[in-house]
Amino acid sequence: MSQMRHGTSEELLALRDGEGSAWVREHVTECAVCAAEVERLEQVRSQLRALPSFAPPRDRWPVVEQVARQYRRHRRLSGTVGTLAAAAAVVLGFAVLRHSRSAPEDAAVRQAMAESAAMEQVFRSLQPDQRALTGRTAGVVADLEDRLAQVDAVLNDPTALRAGPQRVAELWKQRAGLLSALVDVHETRATYVGL
Amino acid sequence: MADTLPLAEAKSLVARARAGDFAALERLYRTYERSVYTLARRLTRSEEDAEDVLQETFLEVCRSLRQWRGEGSLWGWIRTITASKALMRYRREKLREWEPLEDDMARAGEDVPLRMDLEAALERLPERSRAVVWLHDVEGYTHEEIAELMGMTTSFSKSQLARAHGRLRRWLGAGVEG
Repeated sequence: MSQMRHGTSEELLALRDGEGSAWVREHVTECAVCAAEVERLEQVRSQLRALPSFAPPRDRWPVVEQVARQYRRHRRLSGTVGTLAAAAAVVLGFAVLRHSRSAPEDAAVRQAMAESAAMEQVFRSLQPDQRALTGRTAGVVADLEDRLAQVDAVLNDPTALRAGPQRVAELWKQRAGLLSALVDVHETRATYVGL
Repeated sequence: MADTLPLAEAKSLVARARAGDFAALERLYRTYERSVYTLARRLTRSEEDAEDVLQETFLEVCRSLRQWRGEGSLWGWIRTITASKALMRYRREKLREWEPLEDDMARAGEDVPLRMDLEAALERLPERSRAVVWLHDVEGYTHEEIAELMGMTTSFSKSQLARAHGRLRRWLGAGVEG
């Protein structure tokens, strides 16, 4: 004579969750043991839901805010960089036309622009928006980015060209130098957090 | 249960945060930090891990605010980010290799009936089992959703839940013999 089997834990949990098979639904109407187990599982779930929540031991908002501000700055920077590069290329075109007799100086501008572009590529490859910085390092980065923004603003101003290609080349070199410093900071003092 | 914002307020705060309003972003953080941290504590091994998940979650929220289109619950969206960040740690740390097998726990005398409180029993569960129990029984995730989050199968989620409840039953000292 065969003995009645009880529902397995999986079957009873499924029943508790409203997904039980026809067999287990029928079974618990006849088996007090399994009916009690379903009731107990329901109680455990209720007790789990009633457990108290935890308060974070430390306030992480200052770090989140700091990194979020860096992220926004990088996004602005990335957007601005593209615009500036295009604008500067046009400006350079005028400069070359206007200073067609100063070919060596134009070559210096092109060289400085190429250096800046190369350094910018390295900087972007580091995924700076996905790195967390300590407060002190964040200050250094913010300072470098502000200076970079100032250089970009000058490069984006057509009147700056009145100073001639030598000055433009200096600005591009300055820009490459600032990007290089940013690369150094991110490579040595930032932690990749995979945002 | 998370502190939740009315949908209209959530949409307004998110719109302001997207535009760079850090006061709005902080309001979002303050509203959900406790819920995020609690979920992270249930899914990770330590306070420190949970704190990291809290931070990673809100950085992801900052970065991805545009992805929340205001069609579903903001907490539901943040909660999924939290769970993903916490469960990602399993994969990074290869926790699967550390988890004791059922037989090992029995041999180590951990399978005897005890009278723990629920909090202690939950803490005692292997990390992935605890995560499944919490996500399913408390947060209301389906086995399919848990399987997707954990990169496992639906059967895995179901069997983990059943095994975890078996252990809880013994450890809580309220066993129903069957």
